[in-house]
Amino acid sequence: MKNPYLPIPMVVKKASIETTDRMLRTLELSFLNEEDAKAFRFIPGQFCELSILGKGEAPFGIASSPTENGSLKFTINKAGRVTTALHHLEEGAEIGIRGPLGNGYPIDLFKGKNILVIGGGFAFTTLRSLIVYLSHPENRSRVKDITVIYGARMPGLLLYKEELTQWEKRSDLKLVVTVDWGDKDWKGKVGLVPNVLEEVAPSSENTYAVICGPPIMIKFTFPKLMALRFPNERIYTSLEKRMKCGIGKCGRCNIGYLYVCKDGPVFSYAQLEKLPKDY
Amino acid sequence: MKLKLDKKDFENFLQSLMNEYDLYAPVQLAEGVSLFKKIDQPGEVNLTQLHTQKPAKDLFFPQSETMFRYEKVGNQNQMTSMEEVKRERILFGARPCDIEAISILEKVFVSEEYTDVYFLEKRKKTTIIGLGCNHPLSTCFCSSAGGDPFLRAGSDLFFIDLGEVYFVELLTEKGMVFHKNKFFKEADPKDLTLVKELEDKAFEKVGFSIPVDGIEKRLDLMGESSFWDRIHEKCIGCRICTYLCPTCHCFDIVDEGEHQRGQRVRNWDSCLSPLYSLETSGHNPRPTGRERTRQRLMHKFNYFPKKFNQVACVGCGRCILYCPVHFDIRQAIIWTSPKRPKRFGRGAI
Amino acid sequence: MEERSKAIQDRIREKAKELLSKKAVDLIIGFGEWTLPLRTTPIFIRSPEGVDRLIWNSFCENNLATYLHKFSHFKVGIVVKGCDARSITALSLEKRFKPDQLFLMGVPCQRMVDRRRVEKAVKGEILCAHEQGDQIIVEGEDFKKILKRDDFLYPSCQVCTHRTPTQANVLVGDPIEETPLIETHPEVEEFDKKSPEERWKYFEKESSRCIRCYACREACPMCYCAECFVDSSNPNWIGKGPSPSDLEFYHIVRAYHQTGRCSGCGACERACPMEIRLTYLTQKLNWDVKELFNFETGIDAETPPPLSTYETEDRQEFIK
Repeated sequence: MKNPYLPIPMVVKKASIETTDRMLRTLELSFLNEEDAKAFRFIPGQFCELSILGKGEAPFGIASSPTENGSLKFTINKAGRVTTALHHLEEGAEIGIRGPLGNGYPIDLFKGKNILVIGGGFAFTTLRSLIVYLSHPENRSRVKDITVIYGARMPGLLLYKEELTQWEKRSDLKLVVTVDWGDKDWKGKVGLVPNVLEEVAPSSENTYAVICGPPIMIKFTFPKLMALRFPNERIYTSLEKRMKCGIGKCGRCNIGYLYVCKDGPVFSYAQLEKLPKDY
Repeated sequence: MKLKLDKKDFENFLQSLMNEYDLYAPVQLAEGVSLFKKIDQPGEVNLTQLHTQKPAKDLFFPQSETMFRYEKVGNQNQMTSMEEVKRERILFGARPCDIEAISILEKVFVSEEYTDVYFLEKRKKTTIIGLGCNHPLSTCFCSSAGGDPFLRAGSDLFFIDLGEVYFVELLTEKGMVFHKNKFFKEADPKDLTLVKELEDKAFEKVGFSIPVDGIEKRLDLMGESSFWDRIHEKCIGCRICTYLCPTCHCFDIVDEGEHQRGQRVRNWDSCLSPLYSLETSGHNPRPTGRERTRQRLMHKFNYFPKKFNQVACVGCGRCILYCPVHFDIRQAIIWTSPKRPKRFGRGAI
Repeated sequence: MEERSKAIQDRIREKAKELLSKKAVDLIIGFGEWTLPLRTTPIFIRSPEGVDRLIWNSFCENNLATYLHKFSHFKVGIVVKGCDARSITALSLEKRFKPDQLFLMGVPCQRMVDRRRVEKAVKGEILCAHEQGDQIIVEGEDFKKILKRDDFLYPSCQVCTHRTPTQANVLVGDPIEETPLIETHPEVEEFDKKSPEERWKYFEKESSRCIRCYACREACPMCYCAECFVDSSNPNWIGKGPSPSDLEFYHIVRAYHQTGRCSGCGACERACPMEIRLTYLTQKLNWDVKELFNFETGIDAETPPPLSTYETEDRQEFIK
């Protein structure tokens, strides 16, 4: 019987610092064993538990899309014991992974609909996975308009600058990047995400909204979505909570009777309304 | 199959079990303190307490358990998973509440999508010999929680103390393996009468006074009730109730060792600890005892029943007996009920 | 005894009512009756009408000072025995409270009854217990037994010579004689006679039962660190599981963190579900502190504990 607690070995293929404050690092990992690579199937929005033996394990949203074969990308924010160790990993180092875990974004529901993606700060990781997936030639026709609003505090803190440049050039995807404070080189928009959303004013008709960001951003963006007449069933978010086992056994990440690791981390606001504010 | 075992043969019977199985039974560590341990001598078994401090869940979900060991060999990490149970085990002397709790834990640990191999291996390799409660304590409320002092469910064999003999019932396939045990004899009709008398007496003593029935629906309406402001105050946030609770299953996973070799271990944890839900950013969704006490009671009586149609409490009463500030979960349950609280038990003047 | 308890109970209720009516305090922390015999429970009263729930008897064994950390933003009236008041004095020296934040209702303590020893003195479950004179009368389903109260007191209470909370704002009982029932704590005396190897064996045996529930830590008013050393993961001072060396480490370090700060209230031992003996360690350390530094916790509101201060005149000969 498969032991769900045993990590599968992966190797760090590439590592790069994403932001000017050096707190965010993207790791590109590839499986050590061929059969593990073949068996790993995921959808955007799912996460994995990354293990550094001797230090511990922590959950991270998968930043790469299932369409990007060969390796998995994770963006790590340096905050504690495990994340600091992940920041010190060199290319070629071994790392353990358990996954894919969680429920992922409801891709099936998105069929034939417009998609509005709102991201803030380093919560953008799984949104990258979603956007790359939806904008892939195989999948692009499945959904209608794609609008992306992405904000960070400062230009240097924007993630995935390469992808942002590519998306800007596309005509089948509307990308609005904003920062709270610009710098002398910044030529783009300056403004808080909720205000930019109000400005862009995407239509809520036939549209699903996916929003991921720090609590303060969500707090102020949500009323704007309400004002644009987005119903709760069509607003999705990915929650974060302290996790350990990632498979709904250790009891830690529950919100009401649901586990963020197993029944989430993606929830609609309609679901969250019925649950206690335990997050 | 209804048999009996003369108490004179009890130690020899235990020895016969120990020849083929690892036998776990209540062992006294100090006067009034016992827990389930693997015994080396039949004389170690001590059944004087109604229940042990640490519940039988310790056998299937130990307080501290190595999940796997790792060692760096060359450039690669070699991991050795530790779920194997080498020898078949017998759990003797667990009370029906503890045994019912193991079925509750099984619902959590063994599911379609993910199976906790550590729990399952131990469960598969264990034969459970339950022991009926002739004299339930005043703190027991198993009947209110869906059980009873002589509940057979979950046991492979069931023993009832009739004074000079133990009444023995073989209940499952695993239990039937023992029907040829040389110490068992056929039970007499008078044994069966005595069993019925003891059952009726114990059942009457435990009664049904605690309104566990319907508590899920009542708590649905109480998410933000001021009830939680009152009830959590005296809790000091130690972990006694969660550790001694036969159904509590929260655990923590830590790595011990270093880069070269070590192990990943899981330890019991408690939702009542302030660190339990503390996130690295410093944000804590359950910042005070109010949220944590609410989480514990809601999990037991609202969240768990939503998924499994059963409360995650077996009415063993350990949390009542051992809480240092005497938090009484029965009182908490009664207060959720519209019926005014009734005085039960008699206090000191 | 019960007349004395009743008189104290009435005065506690009276004083509590006065404090709450005048809004001199936001809440009163005291003891109330609860669902099991031989036990009381901490209660929190916020309105004058609720004061009748406050009681006093020989089963008021908890040290309520441990709650003060939770209510640090409120003005609190609290019922204290001698040891509890000493804990509060020690905490005030550590600047845990603002000067007028607390109102101590001091009870000259009649010594608390060890409920576990009472339970072990009878066969069967005790369903009802009350005090009468110098007796405790316990009843079960098919028994009634009369026990001599003095035979069942906590050892830490028997040796206590500070039963009157002199630091209290008001005393709600008549003064008592401060003679101890016994000169030395029997377990400390026993322990002191042992050789180092025997001491280790005893300590090892006691701590081996520990289940790391931390009830001792939470019940203790002096344990208030925002991050306890056992919870730290960076550095990882101690393993989280019940390996014998970790258990011993925890108990030794916790005992040492109490040295010079412990009032000997026994709350740690009373809280332990595995009945681990703990007061022999803390009392022994208190004894040593008295001998070496002539200091007893919480007697004097000016002198800080010897192990948390440094003076140039301090003894240095042991530093090699």
